[in-house]
Amino acid sequence: MIKKFIFIIFIPIGLAFLVRRIGLNFQQALSISIFSASVLGTLFFWNLRLSFAFLGASILLATGTIDLDNLVRASSLEVILFLVGMMVLIGLLKDAGFFAWIVSLIIRIKNLTAKRFVLVISLISALLACAVDEVTSIIFIVAAVLEICDYFEVEPTPYIIISILATNIGSAGTVLGNPIGILIATKSGLTFEDFIIKAFPLAVLSLFSMIFIVLFWYRRSLQKLDQKMKEFGANEMLIKLVSVPPDRQTEIALSIFILTLLGLAFSHRLDVFWGLKANTILLIIPLVSAALVMIWKHDKARKFIEKDVEWWTLLFFLFLFAQAATLKYTGATDVLARKIVNFTGNNPYFLTSFILWLSAIGSSMLDNVVLVAAFIPVIHGFQMLNGYLEVLWWALLFGGCFGGNITLIGSTANIVALGILEKERNIKLTFLRWMGIGIIIGLVTTSIAWLALLFLPYYR
Amino acid sequence: MKIKEIMIRDVISLKPDDRGQEALDLLFKSKISGLPVIDEGGKLLGMFTEKSVLSYILPSYVEKVGRFIYQDNPKAISRKLTELKVVKVSQLMRREVITTSEEASLTEAARLMLTQKVRRLLVVDKEKKVLGIVARCDILKAIPKEAEMSSTS
Repeated sequence: MIKKFIFIIFIPIGLAFLVRRIGLNFQQALSISIFSASVLGTLFFWNLRLSFAFLGASILLATGTIDLDNLVRASSLEVILFLVGMMVLIGLLKDAGFFAWIVSLIIRIKNLTAKRFVLVISLISALLACAVDEVTSIIFIVAAVLEICDYFEVEPTPYIIISILATNIGSAGTVLGNPIGILIATKSGLTFEDFIIKAFPLAVLSLFSMIFIVLFWYRRSLQKLDQKMKEFGANEMLIKLVSVPPDRQTEIALSIFILTLLGLAFSHRLDVFWGLKANTILLIIPLVSAALVMIWKHDKARKFIEKDVEWWTLLFFLFLFAQAATLKYTGATDVLARKIVNFTGNNPYFLTSFILWLSAIGSSMLDNVVLVAAFIPVIHGFQMLNGYLEVLWWALLFGGCFGGNITLIGSTANIVALGILEKERNIKLTFLRWMGIGIIIGLVTTSIAWLALLFLPYYR
Repeated sequence: MKIKEIMIRDVISLKPDDRGQEALDLLFKSKISGLPVIDEGGKLLGMFTEKSVLSYILPSYVEKVGRFIYQDNPKAISRKLTELKVVKVSQLMRREVITTSEEASLTEAARLMLTQKVRRLLVVDKEKKVLGIVARCDILKAIPKEAEMSSTS
């Protein structure tokens, strides 16, 4: 405990001295050291992350590193509001039995075989992560996997790991998959459509390579499951137990959700049609959907806002964004970007590789939102020197999402899923058991993104 | 009137190493929905309730999924019911327990019951040693008596 506090105090001070030596001014060094203290605080005391965020922002204000107006502007309220709208909508889907229906769909797969099971859970994990968000979707996939493994009396761990890997990969496919998606979209000007035509295909390609690898990696577990399936006569008895007919409520909720997704997909065209600023409609649509949900379910409106919106996480994001933006406000990240560019000879190939791999490795240890928030002002700095480099944003997205597979604490989805596994089956996964498959999938998928970003002009 | 005047001093309790099934049987036998879990030194460790058992046997994700997907008992529930025979009370109990002191007034205890949504309060000393227990009906019976006494005086 004391050791951690010593780290939180001395590393930022050391960092401040270091960046002063390479030519940053006092305010810039201060913003870097406060941001790094906040990041270390989050790393060491995850449950107290909000305290570190509050304290960090207060120190920035008290020392005059940033003023109140700019702090408020930097807190990226647009991202927070987008997430509020989506969380209300997801609350409705849960309430209307949509997720229970999804779980029952997985359980009712016809002519179940082990391979088909892996294929279905991987595809649904990835698609559901794309459509809702990874932290929500993984809960339902884990529920389905546990039910099926329980029925066939096999160890659920390989299938839980497969679902997590697919979820993290899928989360890069749309703006909705991961909070870093919407964060990158609003800061880069990339639209939902850009994500669909550029990020989604790459996520699908990575997903299939992942499926290919896990089928081989877990071949013994799959053989065992196949044997059990033959013994039990597939899942026929299980199907009889399950009963979640989608009722009228589920259908209406699903229609609202599909309309929202369609609206989001066409948001850029609507922006252009009405002559609005980029991504305005993208932010409006979840709010309109949430408003309609609250009118429809007016007796539960407060519940959707108070229980289904995760204010703790959102407040953390708000202050984190404000602190990260201070790095840009003081000019610290511009100086750093210039130093990196001077050092590397301003090579876009190098910059892309640098951002992709650093964000992949970084997000295997840190929360990817923290990492991306820190990287955004640096990329803006690169762009000041190079002009707009779209490829850098994609590198940040893929690094931030795919890197989550490298370690078992790499993303929130991993932590949530393994938490359920431990609670339900008393199975505590070791760091090493994850590492083998985690590193392989992390490296392979990041390499696929790397090759695509370097050699396909499409992403530039 | 103080809580110490109405509390029941002879508290039926469980030990942390008692098995889940035994504890549940004791609940049924005592016709009560929850019992305190107390260590050898008499210190309060937690509360074992019917709800603790329900939340153990149902999957932890059931609340998040929003609806139960089975018409009948799935295997997981039967397995957990069997496990209940070996799992310890300390693994099932709720650790946050609403307590009061023996010097507290009846109305303060009533406020706690109302705001914290509990049916009974454990009365503990500063070292968290259990001194007694007071139920909602005890308070409801004592408050009118107290009111009567104050009006006659």
